[in-house]
Amino acid sequence: MRFAKLIAGVALALSAPLASAAPVLERQPHLRPPDAGSEEAGLWDATDKAERAARASGELDADPELNAYVKHVLCRVAQEYCDDLRLYVMDRPFFNATAAPNGYVEVWSGLLLRARNEAELAFVLAHETTHFARNHSLAAERHLKDQANGAMALGLILSAGMMAGGAYAGVSASTIANANTSIINISYLGAVVSYFQFSREQEAEADQGGFDRLVAAGYDPNAAASIWQHLIDEHGQSDFDAVRKGHAAGSIFNTHPLDGERLSALAAAAKGKPAGDLGVERYRAAIRPHLTAFLRNDLLRRDFGETLSLIDRLMADGGDAGVLGFYRGECFRLRRGPEDADRAIKAYEAATTAVDAPTETWRELGDLYVRQHDATKARVAYHAYLDRAPDAQDRWLVESQLKKLDQSEGT
Amino acid sequence: MRNVIAAVTSAAALLLLAGCMTVVDAPVGTYKVGEAYQVSLGRHWADVSAIMLDRSHGVHVLSVDGPLLNRLYLSEGLGAGDSLVKSTVKEKPTPTYKTDFSPTETVEFVADSVAALGYQKVETSHLRPGRFGNEDGLRFDLVAKTTDGLDVSGSAMIAQKGGRLYVILFLAPTEHFFGDAAPEIDAIMNSVQFHGV
Amino acid sequence: MRVWLIVAACLAMAACTTTQAKLATTADRPSPNAEILALQPDVQLAIITAGGVTEPRADWSTAARDNIAAAIKGALSAKGLKYTALDPTTVESGRNAQLLRLNNAVGQSILTYDYLIQLPTHANGFDWTLGDGVKTLATTYGGDYALFVNARGSYSSDARKAVIVVAAVLGVSVPTGGQALDASLVDMRTGRIVWFNVAQASPDADMRTPEGAQSLVKDVLKSAPF
Repeated sequence: MRFAKLIAGVALALSAPLASAAPVLERQPHLRPPDAGSEEAGLWDATDKAERAARASGELDADPELNAYVKHVLCRVAQEYCDDLRLYVMDRPFFNATAAPNGYVEVWSGLLLRARNEAELAFVLAHETTHFARNHSLAAERHLKDQANGAMALGLILSAGMMAGGAYAGVSASTIANANTSIINISYLGAVVSYFQFSREQEAEADQGGFDRLVAAGYDPNAAASIWQHLIDEHGQSDFDAVRKGHAAGSIFNTHPLDGERLSALAAAAKGKPAGDLGVERYRAAIRPHLTAFLRNDLLRRDFGETLSLIDRLMADGGDAGVLGFYRGECFRLRRGPEDADRAIKAYEAATTAVDAPTETWRELGDLYVRQHDATKARVAYHAYLDRAPDAQDRWLVESQLKKLDQSEGT
Repeated sequence: MRNVIAAVTSAAALLLLAGCMTVVDAPVGTYKVGEAYQVSLGRHWADVSAIMLDRSHGVHVLSVDGPLLNRLYLSEGLGAGDSLVKSTVKEKPTPTYKTDFSPTETVEFVADSVAALGYQKVETSHLRPGRFGNEDGLRFDLVAKTTDGLDVSGSAMIAQKGGRLYVILFLAPTEHFFGDAAPEIDAIMNSVQFHGV
Repeated sequence: MRVWLIVAACLAMAACTTTQAKLATTADRPSPNAEILALQPDVQLAIITAGGVTEPRADWSTAARDNIAAAIKGALSAKGLKYTALDPTTVESGRNAQLLRLNNAVGQSILTYDYLIQLPTHANGFDWTLGDGVKTLATTYGGDYALFVNARGSYSSDARKAVIVVAAVLGVSVPTGGQALDASLVDMRTGRIVWFNVAQASPDADMRTPEGAQSLVKDVLKSAPF
């Protein structure tokens, strides 16, 4: 009897919401680190650590012009918070951007690859600025603790004389898994942020606040709905079931539940508003020097459905036909589905007509024609490669490929 | 480094303590890579294959100071559809070998496998012909970074024989560890002897 | 953090087949007037809430870091050794940054592959090195030896302690937290790790207090070859 009272007492104490939690207000610009000992301080400290790790990281893209450009776009929408924010571009082939409570912002190369214009990038940055401005990370941390306390209380009640199975029903596995992961061991901002998942309400709030900042900065209001739409479309083309359904770990949908409702809200908000700055040319020019590296990185994910969808979108807007066409060919070459070799050849051949076709295009053609036993076309392609890339590090290899072709002709 | 690697190594450590896996000696002398071939080790290595959770079946991993500081992959011969690095998550597939790979694609297969291990900014260089035992093969160098920003260097030798891809790949931090092992790695690569030739 | 605690726990249980403090056999002992480059301790402390969420505590980490640094300074001065402090977060790029990252990798390797797994290639004596590239570090910052200290740990909140009591009654096990510290001494001429030690904090060596930090540092430096 006494034990039951003890358990009930503790369980009650655990499941009461944190009574002392202050309401989360809009953040003041130029905020200094909070009082030591507060939960804000702990979170700030964890993100300071993640920022130091980002500066040392093998994934950091330190290109000064790229960083300056993205920072400029960020400041256009972040306005009063511009001085609080420090931007880092990370070479990660996923659509993501995050603003941490200490002001450190990550923008991933996968996002830079997927925005079609400056306005679309600006909306995502405005969305993240709103999470930052409304202290959503802090609110999410409190929510997680509430849930974890609730789950622990439930667990204790249930283990007192009942089967523990089903103890965590109603609480998502990911939050419990997150609760068990030590945040002080997480040095990667994406992991810190996914530790505190934003709720649907917070995401809707960030969309709304992001939209307002987008428009205030003079950007086109349609960019908001359109970038989320591209993302949904692209995920719909994924090679993987889990991504198509939005359940994959690391999927943008895990931390940003994205659904039709949010899209309609943004489309409705844009209705009737005057067109604004899109910045297509400006944006593509800023990304151009990095397009090859970003696409190459994207291929490491081996989700060819998504990469092809992304490339097709970029090609539709015009420009970079050589580089984009080459990577279209790479997708087919790597995917190796039935008839993909033919598709790859078609894509590479189309790329060769553009001025920015990488020299590798001809070598890949040579290799594919060899695979298809078309010695004539292979020779033409290999010679074209050697003409265009006289200092290629694999020159000797291509020359020996040519020799092999000549020898088999001779027999 | 501690934070990122801790999870993997502590899981491995726990399994080891539980007696589920063992680290075996790879002493000076002949080391057999399955039934396919053997190499000659000039120094004492440890066979850490059992504790490398992300390696594929038929791939041996040797180390002297632990895989963070040096690791030597020796594959028994990958067949069509085999990978050097195991995929643990369905949405994160690793490169698989195809028997009609072009020479460039075999190099790409190794580089992309290194990326699949979690290394960043993997680049290959100094591609040159080599002899994998009595087979013509390719040799090349690699550089990469760990997620913590530690520079890593690599050396690889590959060959295709009888529809299988043979890979010897060495990775170590550029600072001290790669250079220190370089002569031994070279000697190991030059010592390959296929069985039953 | 898990690796430290596993190592510390295994040492506590005398289940490790190895001695606690590692001394490189052929290393020279630091001379009486050696200069020690003491890197600012890397300390991460957290609180475990009732629900099991580990929440970082910046104030505890900072306090413990300062307490440990002061205790080390005191211990080195008491032995007449010169002491220079270095904050590793100021070393961001170049070879020095690579050396510090390599030191992290070597430290992790020692914990996992010397204490826990005991590689057959390290069965005879304690033999680890960063290579002689460390001379670059010495040239930039000075010092004959570098001392690295890391501490990780968590403390149960009061609410958590109540949960632990209840859980114990029910026969349910609930993680309780703990704190551990490791220290290593690197010869800056050769790069050899001349000494390494791991210590688990006992309940009366709470590094958040100066006295607790002193007790912990005294314990871990006991076997150091000064």
